[in-house]
Amino acid sequence: MRLLVSVLVSFLTLHAQTPRLADVQERRLANGVRLLLVERRGLSAFHATLVFRGGWAEEPSAAAGATELLARTLYGATWPEDVEPSKAQPGLEALLKQEEGLLEGLRLERLQQRQDLAGPSSLPALESHLESVQARLRALYSPSPLADLYAARGGRQTAEATADALLTHTELPQESFEFWCHTEAQRLRSIQLSRFSQTRRNLITELRAQGPQGEALLRGAALPGHPYGRDLADHIPSLEALRWTDLRALARRTLRPDHLMVIVIGGLSLDSALPALERHLGTLPTPPEGEEALLPEIPADLGDRRVQAALGGSPSLLCGWRLPTRRHPQHLALRLAAQLLGGGRTARLESRLVRQKGLAQHVDLRMDLPGGRLPGLLTVGLKPAEGHSLAEVEGALHSEILRLQQDLIPQDEWLRAIAQLEADHVRMLDEPAALARALGRTWAEGGDWRLLEADAQRLRALTPEAVQAAARAWLKPSHRTTVLLEPLPGGPLNPHEAEMSRVLQALAALRLQDPAQRERLVSEGLRQLRMLTPEERLRTLKLLETQLAPEKR
Amino acid sequence: MRRTLLVGLATAFALQAQPVPQRFTLPNGLRVIHLEDHEHPVIRVRLHLELGPSDTPSNHQGLPLLATRMFLHSDAADLKAEGFDRLLEDSGIQLGSCMKPGGLEWRLAARSRDQDRALGLLADRLLRTVFDPTVLETQRLACWQEVERLDAPPFQRLEAALLQAPDARPTLASLGAITLEDLLAFRAKVFRPDRAWLLIHGDVGLEQAKRLVLLSLGSWTAQEPPQSMAPTAARVPASIPPRGPDLLRIPAPGGGLRIQACLPQPSGLAPEAASLIAMLIPGEPTMFPASIAWRPEGLLATLDTGAGLTSAAARSLLLERLEALRRRGFTASDLERARTAWTAARSLASLDAEAQLDVALDQAKGRGAVPDRMKALNLDQLNATLRAWLDSGKVRWGAAGSGERLDALARP
Repeated sequence: MRLLVSVLVSFLTLHAQTPRLADVQERRLANGVRLLLVERRGLSAFHATLVFRGGWAEEPSAAAGATELLARTLYGATWPEDVEPSKAQPGLEALLKQEEGLLEGLRLERLQQRQDLAGPSSLPALESHLESVQARLRALYSPSPLADLYAARGGRQTAEATADALLTHTELPQESFEFWCHTEAQRLRSIQLSRFSQTRRNLITELRAQGPQGEALLRGAALPGHPYGRDLADHIPSLEALRWTDLRALARRTLRPDHLMVIVIGGLSLDSALPALERHLGTLPTPPEGEEALLPEIPADLGDRRVQAALGGSPSLLCGWRLPTRRHPQHLALRLAAQLLGGGRTARLESRLVRQKGLAQHVDLRMDLPGGRLPGLLTVGLKPAEGHSLAEVEGALHSEILRLQQDLIPQDEWLRAIAQLEADHVRMLDEPAALARALGRTWAEGGDWRLLEADAQRLRALTPEAVQAAARAWLKPSHRTTVLLEPLPGGPLNPHEAEMSRVLQALAALRLQDPAQRERLVSEGLRQLRMLTPEERLRTLKLLETQLAPEKR
Repeated sequence: MRRTLLVGLATAFALQAQPVPQRFTLPNGLRVIHLEDHEHPVIRVRLHLELGPSDTPSNHQGLPLLATRMFLHSDAADLKAEGFDRLLEDSGIQLGSCMKPGGLEWRLAARSRDQDRALGLLADRLLRTVFDPTVLETQRLACWQEVERLDAPPFQRLEAALLQAPDARPTLASLGAITLEDLLAFRAKVFRPDRAWLLIHGDVGLEQAKRLVLLSLGSWTAQEPPQSMAPTAARVPASIPPRGPDLLRIPAPGGGLRIQACLPQPSGLAPEAASLIAMLIPGEPTMFPASIAWRPEGLLATLDTGAGLTSAAARSLLLERLEALRRRGFTASDLERARTAWTAARSLASLDAEAQLDVALDQAKGRGAVPDRMKALNLDQLNATLRAWLDSGKVRWGAAGSGERLDALARP
């Protein structure tokens, strides 16, 4: 009897300590749309998140950047001409087709010009024609920022393209709920993308300006050939070649009702919200099931990889370990390991490497990079402090990993890590936007939103031994990739890198006609070469040069 | 008209559902705003310290930022900095500080069961921190890195740099001139209960909130600046350059050239007119091929130029578009639509506790837009505000691009 009482008491204590997601109500609409509704009676507005499973990792490489473009074009604003094009601007579609033809003509003409500089050029004529079509298009666009249907109602909308999903977040006053359902259904029916060319131009400008990024290098080296390792900056020619109709067709195939989860949090009850949802989003047609994207698998034990690169910034070390997927039984234990290592100002890396030893200025730890549906990465970024080398910082990091794997985890540190994760969970429940995002991402990455609650409940049952076992199994050298970013003594551009790029371009031009394919080959070649030591890189460069005709060396 | 009325009615009902701010003042002058909300076991606390331009001596740009970093990295209440952080993290309490237009803020979020400890630690941090001279050099450098954002993409760096007023933008030289005495003098001058607002939101009743605040911050009294503090400005080396170049240049190796103009928000604007301009301006189509966006610090006009456009031509195109917008102004229909949208948008604060705190603080400081004045705002006032804002004489210019293109830029 006493045992029963104590079991009951400890169960109730545990229950009270970890808030639950019991108020999430779930329904499935007739066309396969999943609905999660959280009723918060005190709220006078609602937050709605749409989650389309399948993010940029599922894009075919010819359509690289499509999810990012959809996030920006389809959900960047809510113009009347995009939602109900036939009513708002009947001539819009014909002009968009004309613009598409001209853009493609210009692209091909520019490629032709690169190969034959002396040949006759129709570029000026095409450019002038495109300019006039775009001026006519602009005349059809909404004339004022407040023509945006949500902005006019006091609402706001953002969208994000992740590796595993396309998410859009809208907040509106409660009385606009039916209007929101109607608008979102109409948006998906028409997929007009009227600002496609402008948005793509802006995206390409951003990608070109940002230059090579350390994180992209790490992903590329740690997950070679895998969609999670893809860097959009390497695919600018594909992005330039992507047509308006291609993107629309892709959107129709991928933004399907059966890939969609709708999450609504606000002062609406399920009874009051469901009819509008069924009437609008529940009647979206479901296209025939296409082929599931086949994603390559990468063994976690790929071997210890190293990349040295000079991107022109301050020196830093990036280290990544290949992790299991979000659904893996050891994933939660690894999350706790990550919390112990880098989850706060008193976590081990900050405490020892920054505060006590003064080796590093800054620590940045991230988990499930870039996603968690497929095996992703746990990454640690470290910037050496003045007077310390990358090698010292690297050595210290590996010592901390070994300590985590082998030494007993002190009780106070263990309880602190649990308390932080639990407090994060409570704060997440309190913020509609954070809750909706967490539910959506958990569904997209783990296949079931309940995993969010299950993880919170399992946290207290975890043991330090389980965390250490997971750390030993996954944070080991054969799962590791290290990127050493060094400043260049000679300036921001690495002369060897530039030379390698030139040689690879010349070699690729001998074998491939398509510039998009050529650029991909060069990017991949550069990435592979960065994994060699500087001496090996020089030797390889010389070998490659011998394959070129003497005048091109 | 009917729609406006409906929206107004709906908003009025909706706003009733939000926590009502209750105000009280401690004997030491600390003003407290309390918003009670028991939906979740969480409390959020914000301490806002009013900051004016005269609080930072000339050539000491970055002093408030460096002071907040010193607070974060120094010992407090007989605890080493790390021990203090450990106490926070043992309970999963988040405590951070940030700079806001017109003030310095400490923000705290905790589970309501940890409210006593959270408020106690906030008080320790504010009242019982002893600035540690050994961390000053590290924090000076970290402060500069935070301002410069060297690892951010070039367009973000350009925007962040432009949005800061040149005479307030910290440089290595201005940060280098700040001494520990300057920091102590700044602290004595600014960290006073009569310059502070404390806002509490969440799962705590009014009486309990009063008790908590009195216990933790009731003993806070203003400090006299140390005697040796007075000649601070005189110690600054004369060689420190007062500000950066007129045209900010950020290298962006792979890109074309981006020219950006920042129009800082003029002081003394009516908050109602400023709120409507913030809704009417972003994405204004007549700016094409440039674009315009609103930020709390000001308006940002951007033009990405191709190879065919010189920087001088790009700048004059931007100015021309801004001038056209200034002359054209808004219509009565723009005003009505923006007013309707503003009224409806007020209910969105119910989704975000931090937004409710923003609104409560703005109202308390008399700087937020209020419905009565919004209703009374007319088109002439709105357009006069727009003209004052778009005054091209106050434009700050910046550019991001490859070294070649940046070199070719002539000074404006």
